[in-house]
Amino acid sequence: MTDVTTARRGRTTRAARPASAPRMSRAVWMRELGWRHLVGVVGVVYAGFPLVYVLSASLSDGGTLTGSNRLFADVSTANYEALGDTYFWTWMLNTLQVAIATSVGTVLMGAAAAYAFSRFRFRGRRAGLTSLLIIQMFPQMLAFVAIFLLLVGLGNVVPELGLNSKLGLICVYLGGALGVNTFLMYGFFNTVPKELDEAAKIDGATHSQIYWTIILRLVSPILAVVGLLSFISTFGEFIIARVLLQSESNWTLAVGLYGWVSSLLEANWGLFAAGAVLSAIPVLALFLFLQKYIVGGLTAGSVKG
Amino acid sequence: MRRSILLAAALTTTLGLSACAGGTEEPGDDTSSPAAAGDSLTIWVDETRQAAVEAAAASFEEETGTDVELVLKNFEDIRPDFLAQVPTGEGPDITVGAHDWLGELLSAGVVSPIELGDLAGDFEPVSVQAFTQDGQVYGLPYAVENIALIRNTALAPEAPATWADAVAAGQAAGAKYPILLQTGTEGDPYTSYPLQTSFGAPVFEQNEDGSYTPELALGGENGTAFATWLAEQGKAGVLSTDITYDIAVEAFKNGESPYIVGGPWMLEQFADLELAIDPIPAAGSQPAQPFVGVQGFYVSAQSENAVSATDFLVNFMATEEAQLALYEAGNRPPALTAAADTASSDPITDGFRTVGADAVPMPSIPEMGSVWAFWGVTEAQIISGAAEPAAAWEKMVADIQGAIG
Amino acid sequence: MSAPLSRGSTLVKGWSPGFLVKLVLMAIVDALGVFAILAAWGEESYGILAAMLALLVVANWAYFSKRALPLKYILPGLAFLLVFQVYVVAYTGYVAFTNYGDGHNSTKEHAVAALLAQNERRVEGSPASPLTVVAQGDALGFAIVSDDGDVLAGTAEQPLEEVDDAGVDGDRATDVPGYEVLDRASVLERQQEVTALRVPVSDDPNDGSLRTQDARTGYVFLPSLVYDEAADTLTDTVSGTVYTPDDNGLFEAEDGTTLPVGWRVVVGFENFLTAFGDDRYATPFLKILIWTFAFAVLSVGTTFLLGLFLAITFNDVRLRGRKIYRTLLILPYAIPGFLAALLWSGLLNKSFGFINQVLLGGAAIPWLTDPWLAKLAVLGVNLWLGFPYMFLICTGALQSLPGDVLEAAKIDGAGRWRTWRSITLPLLLVSTAPLLISSFAFNFNNFTLIYMLTNGGPRFTDASVPLGHTDILISMVYSISGIDGSAPKNYGLASALSIVIFLIVATISALAFRRTRSLEEIA
Repeated sequence: MTDVTTARRGRTTRAARPASAPRMSRAVWMRELGWRHLVGVVGVVYAGFPLVYVLSASLSDGGTLTGSNRLFADVSTANYEALGDTYFWTWMLNTLQVAIATSVGTVLMGAAAAYAFSRFRFRGRRAGLTSLLIIQMFPQMLAFVAIFLLLVGLGNVVPELGLNSKLGLICVYLGGALGVNTFLMYGFFNTVPKELDEAAKIDGATHSQIYWTIILRLVSPILAVVGLLSFISTFGEFIIARVLLQSESNWTLAVGLYGWVSSLLEANWGLFAAGAVLSAIPVLALFLFLQKYIVGGLTAGSVKG
Repeated sequence: MRRSILLAAALTTTLGLSACAGGTEEPGDDTSSPAAAGDSLTIWVDETRQAAVEAAAASFEEETGTDVELVLKNFEDIRPDFLAQVPTGEGPDITVGAHDWLGELLSAGVVSPIELGDLAGDFEPVSVQAFTQDGQVYGLPYAVENIALIRNTALAPEAPATWADAVAAGQAAGAKYPILLQTGTEGDPYTSYPLQTSFGAPVFEQNEDGSYTPELALGGENGTAFATWLAEQGKAGVLSTDITYDIAVEAFKNGESPYIVGGPWMLEQFADLELAIDPIPAAGSQPAQPFVGVQGFYVSAQSENAVSATDFLVNFMATEEAQLALYEAGNRPPALTAAADTASSDPITDGFRTVGADAVPMPSIPEMGSVWAFWGVTEAQIISGAAEPAAAWEKMVADIQGAIG
Repeated sequence: MSAPLSRGSTLVKGWSPGFLVKLVLMAIVDALGVFAILAAWGEESYGILAAMLALLVVANWAYFSKRALPLKYILPGLAFLLVFQVYVVAYTGYVAFTNYGDGHNSTKEHAVAALLAQNERRVEGSPASPLTVVAQGDALGFAIVSDDGDVLAGTAEQPLEEVDDAGVDGDRATDVPGYEVLDRASVLERQQEVTALRVPVSDDPNDGSLRTQDARTGYVFLPSLVYDEAADTLTDTVSGTVYTPDDNGLFEAEDGTTLPVGWRVVVGFENFLTAFGDDRYATPFLKILIWTFAFAVLSVGTTFLLGLFLAITFNDVRLRGRKIYRTLLILPYAIPGFLAALLWSGLLNKSFGFINQVLLGGAAIPWLTDPWLAKLAVLGVNLWLGFPYMFLICTGALQSLPGDVLEAAKIDGAGRWRTWRSITLPLLLVSTAPLLISSFAFNFNNFTLIYMLTNGGPRFTDASVPLGHTDILISMVYSISGIDGSAPKNYGLASALSIVIFLIVATISALAFRRTRSLEEIA
């Protein structure tokens, strides 16, 4: 049913409409578009006001979060400057390393698995696909004992994979590379017509050539989506990171920021707010950068092909 | 094609072997690396203590040549992580900790005793006593902390004699809050404990030597009287579950109240105010005794560097200089008497120390763990009016008894 | 390689650039793998060795055999999955059958060592003696200076004995004839031996033995517990009571008294029986189970509906500023979940929060302390956190709807609402179903939100365990596990509950997947 061509046709027909539409009256505009702006504004206020609040707190000079309800009563960059005296930028760098490595790994491994599930017919395919999804649903909260022991064991053998190593943490995250992501990609891979593969095969291409040069190019939107999702979830993960990364210079942002607010006595909301604002920037930037893929990629493929 | 597979496999294996021929030296090197040779120490510290321990660690490194690695952890993560990691052989050699963890650490077998020898006499008696179990000392104390009444002298020139006086004086001064006592939605039994003791309802029975028995003592008539009092204060608006630590500190800092019940950890925020430290005013007929908490260092039972660890604690952290450095970092009166005397030249520190002299150590018996979970929330429910005081208090005592078993 | 010449051509044919890349990659993998195997051999970690070996063999087979085509693509992810997920699940499953927790924290050896250490007492009134670590051949010994200034030395075998002509500097022996004085570095190198060394004070064991902790000062200690390795018993030297290990991982005397430090043992289904048999847990469990389902379903429902509504609203190319709206609406998604939950708990504070103070003009609504409002608040915050994801998904799904079907419906004269209800929505549901299911599973275990926002509160007033109205199963497990220090730790029980939760979620999800597959077929 859905294949690339019809989807594209659907889009072009819709896109062609506004050019030919006659200028509409105010009432029609209100009914057709005006309410959308209204919804948009309300939605943006709802989505944005807590963030405005954090921004205001980050710019205020000291004070607690709950005690600073006057937005932008004073504006100072003291909190941002104070970040320089902390490990904040080291954490930012660590987080970016871990998140980028994890998302790239997740995309590569997830896409490969999705390709196999989508294109090959083998025993246990359905069951494998379902169990991938199910196994990821294990509540990880208590798993820290097991993960810790595992890394202690691995670290004795290969120190680079042990505790307090970013590589070790990345490996743990990559353990979740297959799962919902594979399922997302699997759906998308299914929308790429099989005829393409077969044509290429007749031309003498091997399965790996088909995969690397044809398929991956066609499914790039979903790769972007999975990359972003994995980036975001890695960026915010702190339960496992907190157990594994021991020295402060190896922490990720989530662990560090959590440390700033977790113990009430040492609470420093201003610093925390400034950190939170800055740490949202990479995610936003990535989102803006990938936006054109994302909207098309998210579930375009989940429709059964 | 078959052959090409074989060949390729052979090739990769050779490549692999030759690659790791260069690599196998690494584990060989490891045996002589610092970690295995035992001339490095790992110490877990929290943020407040970090700088002060660093200073002592530097002089230790200089004198003995042993590397000291400080690992910064959130204070509340230290206990569970220590319990989980020590048995694996990973944890630290030394960790900072509070004395009330002792019961749990002992039953898990993760701490070793420290023989202080004659040094024990140099410490404030309560601090060594807090780390003692069955005649053995398990921690090197460095600070004694307790709460007191912090008074803004600009708003209240006189120390109040009773809780009612304090409330009246606060109201007379026209302050927004007559007196601040942090509660939060989960309650704060630590801060409200002195008021509970003023009604004669301590948490556990005490032996003659001051150690606690697992016999609950917070119930009965006195406990009910305290619960009723909490409900009254809640109704009158003096106590409120909205007053969290942050809010209380902020309000006191802004001069919105003449009194706050709190500890030396708040002082940094009140740098601009003229303060006096008074005993906590009693609400009942008995003296209001807060808990004393003792901070100290524990040595891991699995430490491979026990000699260095003990050496560091006994000979480098039990000095006046190190204890004073920790005092500057955390504002808590030092546990070493000489250091405490020096620190007492500051009237504020002296005030806390005086209040602490009449305080009771926080129980470190394992049963205490089951108390915290019910205690605070019940208080909060009574203060907010969500529960009928006498019944709720009675149920709490029964639940704690059930949890202790 | 019997006939190299004739096979030459096939070989050359096999050496395409892709094959070379594969060869190099596999060489690296093999090199690392063999390195790890050797290292594991050296460290005697045979479990890791076996796992590595198996992975390496499978990897080589998969990539150099023609038969394992799908495996070539699945293996990398699968390897990580097996090591870091399946193992972890299996290990948690194992813990569920043990009594791991307070008092049963480690192995038996550790427990014995801890008990012995805790029950070694300094002899009352004995002096603190300046001590020097010495060696006699391989055997370590101690030399101390007595109160009279005499130097005494001995080893584990040789009780303390006065040594003549010893050199003393200050109060410490610096030269002990018959012994070699160790410098600090050699002491530190052998520090485990040093702390383990007991030098008897005399031939009578009741006089105690000399030991040191810092290699500077020695004290005379007497053990009050003695371990008999052969019989595996501990004996109290004062009362003579003999403690033998029991089935629960404790040393037990005949009269039933136990020693405080225990170790981990397998206890069978005991944890599962406690989870369901203990009345204190059974009552709140049902309430929490219901709320967990309500929370997960409502979270998915509300976020999906809002996301869908917004997606439809902005799915009109005539709308100016669509991109800006979309970007701004995504903002909450860019904030890590735990930050957002913390932030909201401040915003929702009854007396000081921004919501009550500024938005509602000073109202005192107990958002987080009233049972129903707290539930509402949890859902509301989760809506804020979750709608951008659903908005993204629905936008994507809407745009990929088959245009021809919609056109056909229009031509058939179906109205806007009808088209939407009988074509758009079903198609949309089919395409988003797997994501909705996994979102359900995620929220079912959304520990961070609950923990940071309400910590389960407000508490049940009628339950006898510290659980509350917004606790979901996973946060209940957390309370029971005692990791936060508010309760005695019980990892065994908590693991057993995790397994139960996992079974619940897995079953529901598996059923749901099966259902959506049949949905797909209808569509």
